[in-house]
Amino acid sequence: MRYSLFIIFLLISTSLTAQVKADSSAFKQLDDVIVTATRSPRLLANVSIPASVISAKTIYQSGSLRLNDILSEQSGIVITDNFGKGIQLQGLSSDYTLILLNGEPLVGRTGGVFDLSRITIRGIKKIEIIKGPSSSLYGSEAMGGVINIITDQSGSRKTDFALRYGSFNTVDASIDIARKIKKTEVQFFSNYNRSQGYSLKPNALQKTVEPFWRSTQQITVSQPLGSKWKFSLLARHNNTFINNTIAVQNGGNTIVSKGFEKSNEYNLNPSLQFKINQKISSSLRGYLTGFKAIQELKIKDAFGSYDDQFSQIYKRIENQTDWQIRDKSSLIIGAGYVSESVESNRYDELSTKRKNAIAYSFFQHEEQLSKNLTFIGGMRYDANKIYASVASPKAAFQYKISDKISFNLSYGKGFKAPDFRQLFLNFTNLAAGSYSVFGTDVARDEIKKMSDANLIDQTTAAFNNVSVLKPEISGGLNAGMKIKTLNGIDVNINFFRNDISNMIVTDVVAYKKSGGQIFSYFNLKNARTQGIEIEAGKRVLNVISLKAGFQYLNTADKEVLKSIKAGTVFERSLETGLASRLKTSEYGGLPNRSKFSANAKATYDNNKGLFTTVRIFYRGRWGTNDLDGNGLINRSDEYAKGNIQVNASLGYKLGERWDVMAGVDNIFNYKDIQNLPGNPGRVGYATLQIHL
Amino acid sequence: MLMAVVFFVSCKKEKVTVVETVTSKTVSSLPADTIVGVSNGQPVGTGKFSFFSIESNSSIASVDSNSKKWDIGLRGTTIITNAGTSGPGSGGAFVYTGTFDELKTISADSTFRTDNAPTSYAIPLGSNKGWYVLDFVTNLLSPIPGRVLVIRTANGKYAKVEILNYYKGGTTPAANATDAEKSSKQRYYTFRFTYQSNGSKSF
Repeated sequence: MRYSLFIIFLLISTSLTAQVKADSSAFKQLDDVIVTATRSPRLLANVSIPASVISAKTIYQSGSLRLNDILSEQSGIVITDNFGKGIQLQGLSSDYTLILLNGEPLVGRTGGVFDLSRITIRGIKKIEIIKGPSSSLYGSEAMGGVINIITDQSGSRKTDFALRYGSFNTVDASIDIARKIKKTEVQFFSNYNRSQGYSLKPNALQKTVEPFWRSTQQITVSQPLGSKWKFSLLARHNNTFINNTIAVQNGGNTIVSKGFEKSNEYNLNPSLQFKINQKISSSLRGYLTGFKAIQELKIKDAFGSYDDQFSQIYKRIENQTDWQIRDKSSLIIGAGYVSESVESNRYDELSTKRKNAIAYSFFQHEEQLSKNLTFIGGMRYDANKIYASVASPKAAFQYKISDKISFNLSYGKGFKAPDFRQLFLNFTNLAAGSYSVFGTDVARDEIKKMSDANLIDQTTAAFNNVSVLKPEISGGLNAGMKIKTLNGIDVNINFFRNDISNMIVTDVVAYKKSGGQIFSYFNLKNARTQGIEIEAGKRVLNVISLKAGFQYLNTADKEVLKSIKAGTVFERSLETGLASRLKTSEYGGLPNRSKFSANAKATYDNNKGLFTTVRIFYRGRWGTNDLDGNGLINRSDEYAKGNIQVNASLGYKLGERWDVMAGVDNIFNYKDIQNLPGNPGRVGYATLQIHL
Repeated sequence: MLMAVVFFVSCKKEKVTVVETVTSKTVSSLPADTIVGVSNGQPVGTGKFSFFSIESNSSIASVDSNSKKWDIGLRGTTIITNAGTSGPGSGGAFVYTGTFDELKTISADSTFRTDNAPTSYAIPLGSNKGWYVLDFVTNLLSPIPGRVLVIRTANGKYAKVEILNYYKGGTTPAANATDAEKSSKQRYYTFRFTYQSNGSKSF
């Protein structure tokens, strides 16, 4: 395998760039360089795990503004709409996908969901996507996959302004300035995004999406220190503000509360790279990030106010050393230390800090075993202070039959650490039947306190099983092939299977005298997701690019499958109202998963500044909620309707300095008020870019 | 309150076997302490049980609550049988897992429970514990499919009951229906039952 010089991962050598350009593949993607797959730059075609790269150009031509916009257009990815825009990858929910910014984790999740709309994708270089478990390199959360946002660090001189205006008074404005002063490269980026929101139900007291604004400021600096050292720094600040009007029905009265939700996030990432010699390089990376979210609601006419505060701080120091042992053999070793803390009134008094610390180390060995066969093996060990430690191995093979056909096979372990919520939550809902949820670390004490106050009716058998939570674990198998057909079509096929065990779910641990239930968390559930993803692409006359993608997905709760096979699960017929035994074939799997999804994209780009795109997306029906009392998705009315959406854009370059583009998303105005509140229907926009 | 619209139909699917003469009957939209107002922000009824005689397939007035005339009493999601703390009869019940049609004989080792209010009931109270499950998101109640209430009547005979629906007209409101609609239509039982008048445990 001709991987080019072993290099420090942010410095892409000219030889590699040259090599990339020489290979004239129809599938533009395959030429790209990807860092995330192996923690070192590799040609995408040489990566033995499912991976893809989205370029800044694709992002611009698609008219995407936020991370969820562009991810929703990728094969095998579904964006969910609960606690913000979450990613679903290989059928695994947002909790199990790690989001990185230049290789550093972004924190701040609500109900396990990382809200992708927090992240602007203006002013970035590319987005790298890894599917399947990568905990062997990245630790917790890298179970379904990894999304890595790479900011632009090319250092080319530029002064760019972009302004977009669209439906619902949506404004998006960016400034992107890059300068090279002697050897110092500096980039400043700023983005402001706002919208008045929208209402899917006319005359509703509460808008479906309330007015909001968000802003991002970012500075990156890169400074060579002599010929062997290089210092770089990223500093970023992100703000969001959302108006809140919430109307709740309570006993026939409408209670309106008004307030806001805001978040404040910062990232500081200094790093030092040291090239010891041609074969060995090392980097030391520091990282500090904080995420603070506040929601305040003033309730009209009574009940006082609601105040929710959540603040998370994550600090990390990490060293990674890359060693090119021989021409066809390389080694990466690394170690790091994480200290994180959370303060929230969901758990405690705000002054109580909940803390965790993780020490970890990892290695990865890559060896070209023969002319055609490459092997990568790696392992990471995470020693945790407040929950069980985890070892995550991974092995991958790539076998190239010829330039046209290659096979990939990989198996890896993934894990997700129990989060602070599952350990420390102390929540009582007074409105809905007065239920309580306690994290495992506090459950016994809290229930003891309530029992002493004579508030507990009885504890359940599950109460005795409340114990230290174990991380959720997955084993992921990916087997695929890449083919270039004779008529110039690139085809990627990948089969995947993820077996997830120790999944954390809530269960009743006690009943209050008032009748309310008390829940805590347990490692109880086992699930699986499996399927096949196919992508095909072709370039015509060097100006037209055609792409199509398809995913078949099959998911199941393994315990449910066992019960169905044992004949203890029933359903109620929609037509007759009578009960019958559920068959395995009628079980719809985990909710919110579409069995089928597909997309087709056509881009015309004359390479002189004129382009147009048409993108079609199909999402098959997905389970929403149980209606026949068995707690499962099985009946036709328990699904949301499948749908097709079409987006299009058109752009033109007016001389050297001006770019104009316009687009319409969801041209045929598909809406589903009940199941897709995040979809406003047809949206139009126009963008102007100036390069000074 | 008890002027319920009660009617019944013969089950067409009944097999023609010589020994069995029992047929299943369906009761539609039997009100069971329907919502009359709001107290402390919660919708409430009057608190009275709606009594029903399986033997005679008819509603029984609440003045006869302390008699052997009724076999089951319904109030909201609570179902009582005529024995123990609930009544003077020889009633009792347990919840069978399986389909209505499959339950042809009550096995000899089955244990009938009796009510011991307020701590325990023959048919357990609560979501996912007895005959129903309540969806906390939509606030809608569904009878769990594959649950059959095996009833011993006030006079010690046997019947099987399957609750089919909990809403007026036998149709559950849509998930996005208003709270007012969900509240006003709830507590109407549609159920089918088979009563064995000869005292045997076979249906």
